[in-house]
Amino acid sequence: MTVPAGAPSPGWRAWVLLAPLLAWVGIFVVAPAALLLVYSFCDRDELGRVVFDFSTAAYARVLDPIYLGIFARSLGYATATTVLCLVIGFPVAWWIARTPASARGRWLLLVMVPFWTSFLVRTYAWIMILKQEGLLNAVLHSLAPGTPPLELLYTPTAVMIGLVYAYLPFMILPIYGSAEKLDGSLIEAAHDLGAGPLRVFSSVIIPLTLPGIAAGALLVFVPSIAMFAITDLMGGAKVPLLGNVIQNQFLQARDWPFGSALGVVFMALFALSYWILVRFQDRGEAGKR
Amino acid sequence: MLNSIMPPATAPKRRPTSGTVVVERGLRAWTLAVLAFLYLPIAVLVVYSFNASRLNVSWQGFTLDWYRQLAVNAPLKQAAWNSLVVALATTVLSIVIGTGGAWLLHRHRFPASRLIQTLVALPMVMPEILLGISLLVLFATAGVPLGFTTVIIGHVTFSFPFVLVAVQARLRGMDPALEEAALDLGATPWRAFRLVILPYLRPAIAAGGLMAFTLSWDELIVTFFTADAASATLPLRIFGLAKVGLNPMINALSALFVLATVAFVIFSARLRRDAAANPLPP
Amino acid sequence: MKTKRLLALAAGLLAGLAPAGAAELNLFGWSEYVPQNVIEAFTKETGVKVNFETYASNEELIAKLVAGGGRYDLVQPSDYAAEVMIRQKLLAPLDAAKLGNRRNLLPEFRGRPHDPEDRFTVPYMSGTVGIVINTDKVKTPVRSYRDVFDARFANRIVVLNDNREIVSWALYSLGMPVNKIDAAALAKARPVIAEWVKRVKVFDSDSPKTPLLNGDVDLGIVWSGEAALLWKQDRKFQYVIPAEGAHQFIDVLAIPANAKNKDSAHRFIDFILRPGISKLISAAFPYTNPNAEARKLLSPEELANPASYPKGGKLETFRDIGKAAADIDRLVTDLKSAK
Repeated sequence: MTVPAGAPSPGWRAWVLLAPLLAWVGIFVVAPAALLLVYSFCDRDELGRVVFDFSTAAYARVLDPIYLGIFARSLGYATATTVLCLVIGFPVAWWIARTPASARGRWLLLVMVPFWTSFLVRTYAWIMILKQEGLLNAVLHSLAPGTPPLELLYTPTAVMIGLVYAYLPFMILPIYGSAEKLDGSLIEAAHDLGAGPLRVFSSVIIPLTLPGIAAGALLVFVPSIAMFAITDLMGGAKVPLLGNVIQNQFLQARDWPFGSALGVVFMALFALSYWILVRFQDRGEAGKR
Repeated sequence: MLNSIMPPATAPKRRPTSGTVVVERGLRAWTLAVLAFLYLPIAVLVVYSFNASRLNVSWQGFTLDWYRQLAVNAPLKQAAWNSLVVALATTVLSIVIGTGGAWLLHRHRFPASRLIQTLVALPMVMPEILLGISLLVLFATAGVPLGFTTVIIGHVTFSFPFVLVAVQARLRGMDPALEEAALDLGATPWRAFRLVILPYLRPAIAAGGLMAFTLSWDELIVTFFTADAASATLPLRIFGLAKVGLNPMINALSALFVLATVAFVIFSARLRRDAAANPLPP
Repeated sequence: MKTKRLLALAAGLLAGLAPAGAAELNLFGWSEYVPQNVIEAFTKETGVKVNFETYASNEELIAKLVAGGGRYDLVQPSDYAAEVMIRQKLLAPLDAAKLGNRRNLLPEFRGRPHDPEDRFTVPYMSGTVGIVINTDKVKTPVRSYRDVFDARFANRIVVLNDNREIVSWALYSLGMPVNKIDAAALAKARPVIAEWVKRVKVFDSDSPKTPLLNGDVDLGIVWSGEAALLWKQDRKFQYVIPAEGAHQFIDVLAIPANAKNKDSAHRFIDFILRPGISKLISAAFPYTNPNAEARKLLSPEELANPASYPKGGKLETFRDIGKAAADIDRLVTDLKSAK
């Protein structure tokens, strides 16, 4: 946060304005999280109901190597998705930010509109494209008749395609939101000072769009860790990820304490990392002044 | 380190070098390729909305049946309307809460501000089933009946952090001189915010709003636990349908939505061009 | 523009807060499992407005009810889920006097283990879990679970994404009981499942017919309803009840204990037990119809569907297994991750 140096403590007016946000977070975020925390220390009875007897059994299970491995795999997919979305999406966000102002809104809409269709229909359309007798293989066959058909569906490749597809807009939009102000004359000035395009990119463009890149990375990485629907539909549900496991605990396994414990650990890890990240950013910004 | 200020209107125009033209063309080609990637499954689903086969697997002839069936299917239309209402309400509320929150946290040094920031980002990371079930237990304990209100509350809770993060990113790059200048010129903090900061934030607000709308529109799990029959959204109605084969009516519905929005985009572009070409006489 | 949105929001909120009408029925069921034309016929005849809410799995139904949600008058669990709900005292006893049409049901569907005295539930539709084969691609006979997971079918198999089902098939193939699941049983099943899991290409409980129709897999173990739809689409898809034994499920209608419109609920149950109405349900969902009178109205083609009305086989319903469900989940998750 870039609080102006020497800013006084917020007056009562600022507190009043912040109050609705705090209330919302308190009631609809903290309270539910606290409930989950309570559940995670409970036990369950034969019928799968939560029993309010203190027990740390759920947390002991979280440390089981199976689940640690699943968590690591989820992190892997999330990282790969974020990196790919960044590489693919950054140029798009950059280009839209440089189009004439009147057109930008429309380009953004065009990016978003595919996601105003139903997720299931979209995913089944992808299955139609990637299946063995699907569109992709048909096109491939007509271009290069000899090659055997690609078996993309129900593989990690298909999962990656699905993940990148689903999260691309959440990388493009924040980068656009931050890059939009970038003055073209700054780039030209850098050119005039003799910088080559690579230098311009690394010394001017990247640092100035860094907040947007960080935001995009956050908005893609974090939600994608708990993603499971795409791996289920396009990956054949062969590899359980964190989202599947948590889902199962509340549905089929009827082990709410364990599901809550997994959730609590996951959220706590995130909170810790985010806290550290915010600290870094604050220190970085303070150093700039 | 170069710091960016509101671009001066009188930046000298320079002729683009051949290098920059190549880069521009390359970027445009890349963007169009990415858009093609994004619209590929959409094209497929639109085509299949005309497929004369209930089990949407292979092409079996052209038909408008699904559109006809959609026109008289009251539950689906109601669900689509509900989704729209919920998504719009969610977007508006998320923008208000997200933008306001980002600005306040940026502008003032609140005690435990880092804690607040972390808590505010938490709903993004909460798996949907956890949020859904815990909200339901909350509502049930408090005796709040399920309906539009509870659904919108759930949606806003996981949507507003997206707006907040997007707006925060834009604020991070903002020159504090912007607000100081406005205040020096005699504006109250509220006027400075409304007339200087808010316009500056508009691209981030637009980005955040689009994200919030999209998240709300297609959300299933939190909605399942917080909705009742009257407030059932489209994803709720659709999800179990895979069991008997996704009805191509859903393709038709999705196709209509896409075509309507794309038509709107093209139409509004044409309107603007006409208005620019033929300005109304003073 | 902003005013319009505010108005829409206000309208939405008001709609959600509107008081309930005179005669209503809050139905919570599988998406489309109750066909629209049946609901409309009911409303037309009785004037009762039906509010249809949907879920996609038994587990979601239980989760929502246990978390305290909803005021439902009628729910549609499967037998084992109904058993859980009966034991958790979530269901209301039925008033036999209002359900005269129950006599239409075949005797084999009455007095089932989940509800031995039929006090809380009425059968809706039934089905099995069995083997479906694309006879164009699979020329050798496949009759048992072991046959399905043969090495030559590796990476051409689809199975349900249901951990309990998978464990049960392993237990069936070992000749062990499927309703008594303890650590010893799971230890025996483990190596069998470990090998099977490696050969599966797709796990899918929602629409396993998709990869079969797409030609991405050649055979699998699926719900009979899916197999019936496949057979209707193309006769090359044959359905077989596994020789070692198979799971038979019965989906039932039941009234939650806190239902407000119990009378409407009873009327609805009695309504769908009419042969003419039950026939409509069969037309929409080719599962096994438990209604003897309705079966007399079905077409020969419907009755010939090997998945809808399979011949023979040792059929068994699942009982609730309590905490073992978590152990099963852990086992299969472990084996799937090991790939």
